[in-house]
Amino acid sequence: MALIEIDDLSVTFAARHREVQAVRNVSLAVDARESFGLVGESGSGKSTILRAICGLAPISGGTIRIAGQPVPTRRGPGFSRRVQMVFQDPYASLHPRHTIDRTLSEPLAIHGLPDTDARVVRALTDVGLPPAFRFRFPHQLSGGQRQRVAIARALMLEPEILLLDEPTSALDASVQAETLNLLNRLRAERGLTFLMVSHDLAVIDHMCDRILVMQHGAAVEELPREALAKAQMKTDYARSLFAASADRLLGA
Amino acid sequence: MTLLSVENLHVTFDTEAGVVEAVRGVSFALGRERLGIVGESGSGKTQTGRAVLRLIRPPGRIRADRMVFDGQDLMAAGERDMRALRGRRIAMVMQDPKYSLNPVMRVGHQLMEGLRQRDGLSRRDAHAKAVEALAAVQIRDPARVMEAWPHELSGGMGQRVMIAMMLIPNPDLLIADEPTSALDVTVQAEVLSILDNLVRTRGMGLIFISHDLRLVARFCDRVLVMFKGRIVEELPARNLMQAQHPYTRGLLDCLPRIGGPRTPLPALDRTADWAR
Ligand SMILES: Nc1ncnc2c1ncn2[C@@H]1O[C@H](COP(=O)(O)OP(=O)(O)O)[C@@H](O)[C@H]1O
Ligand SMILES: Nc1ncnc2c1ncn2[C@@H]1O[C@H](COP(=O)(O)OP(=O)(O)O)[C@@H](O)[C@H]1O
Ligand SMILES: [Mg+2]
Ligand SMILES: [Mg+2]
Repeated sequence: MALIEIDDLSVTFAARHREVQAVRNVSLAVDARESFGLVGESGSGKSTILRAICGLAPISGGTIRIAGQPVPTRRGPGFSRRVQMVFQDPYASLHPRHTIDRTLSEPLAIHGLPDTDARVVRALTDVGLPPAFRFRFPHQLSGGQRQRVAIARALMLEPEILLLDEPTSALDASVQAETLNLLNRLRAERGLTFLMVSHDLAVIDHMCDRILVMQHGAAVEELPREALAKAQMKTDYARSLFAASADRLLGA
Repeated sequence: MTLLSVENLHVTFDTEAGVVEAVRGVSFALGRERLGIVGESGSGKTQTGRAVLRLIRPPGRIRADRMVFDGQDLMAAGERDMRALRGRRIAMVMQDPKYSLNPVMRVGHQLMEGLRQRDGLSRRDAHAKAVEALAAVQIRDPARVMEAWPHELSGGMGQRVMIAMMLIPNPDLLIADEPTSALDVTVQAEVLSILDNLVRTRGMGLIFISHDLRLVARFCDRVLVMFKGRIVEELPARNLMQAQHPYTRGLLDCLPRIGGPRTPLPALDRTADWAR
């Protein structure tokens, strides 16, 4: 049984004059400790799938199961101890007037977990930041440092599953490399399961075992990593994404 | 023939926390060719591009030994002379069309404004030229786009409209600052090939600013690599993969590649001597 099972999921937003079907009958399954990638152009519904898992998007059809159990309508504390999300923009996702210490200790307080101090220091160390960063505010950190804090926050409750929404798209290539290395190390150390979104095929290829290509809210093609490297995609759309991928521009 | 030459350009900002040296002694010359400027965010690319147009607002200051465009001394030019150059002879396309197009004016109106006011064309002629410009950036249905509001355009369409608008006066130099960074890869490739084609056929000079070495390698003749306000390496774009400077190498090597190894990506060593 897969850890994350999504069957025939549809998400429909009621916009002002019309309905927007952001996700159309998408199915996917992610095994425990697997890393699964969603790629596609902007607006293809990638983020909406992650948000639907967290109960942040209006599901109009289909089911989502975690470890065999349908997700509860109100996600609640049990859910957030298993599943955490990291967003693209580390500038927007951290509260600008909360110290890093407060940002990291809040989830512990909400869940009534002990040893706040020790856990915050360990969390910072785990993501490669000096403990003294506790006393800083987000604006006193670089983009890459903020994304480390966002990752540390997601890991405070020791979840099994990380939903990663373009976690490095706002970062410079060098900082992206450090962040991807950090995510891979944490996944190996803690046996985490990743469901990761990116528009960058090379990033998804580096991070994921299997890949689902999306377009206009629908699943176009699922392929294992090996097939991507060998350009063995079956659909024209997946092939066009591959051809336009920036790292192809160097002509290998 | 040299179109633009810049010698020892400095851009500094006086802030409460002290002086920020955004550009520190940059020199380059440009003919009717495609020059790329790459580097990480904060390396001074945008300020370099804006300085050429003298678009640095206080508390920013520009200093240079020489900055000459087509025989005209840009450091000595008055604000009036600069206004005459901007748009008409040197144009700049910014990263995000959302911030460059006027949100409360239909696209057609914006395209025709300059043609009517600056060039004194009749409404009908201005309309025809605007439609022609949209067609040149491969917009399939120019008549419809003329009537559209900026918010009705997708990112790729908006960026094409911006490029069309910048190219109407037939500038000699186009400065494109991350013109495709906000676009999807497939759209990005289309917009770049349009830009590339226009530059070739019109014989313009292009300064292409990007944080993406791969794009620059593909679309430029020559590349300047910037780090902390300085040019650390200059090389022909086709040799970018053989770059020597550790910073350039670091930027190239830290990129994941499709089918590449799963080992940790090489990080940039910021403690090395060159980084000081
Ligand atoms: N809150 C919302 N209200 C209305 N439409 C939305 C909302 N969120 C997303 N959408 C629409 O859903 C589609 C998919 O969006 P998204 O999942 O963010 O795409 P991606 O992450 O692949 O770029 C888009 O057309 C987007 O405009
Ligand atoms: N108004 C300003 N005040 C102080 N520093 C500034 C200002 N504008 C830009 N800078 C600084 O100038 C440097 C170069 O910026 P920029 O040219 O925008 O970099 P790039 O385009 O390469 O990302 C950065 O360190 C930035 O913080
Ligand atoms: Mg998204
Ligand atoms: Mg810039």
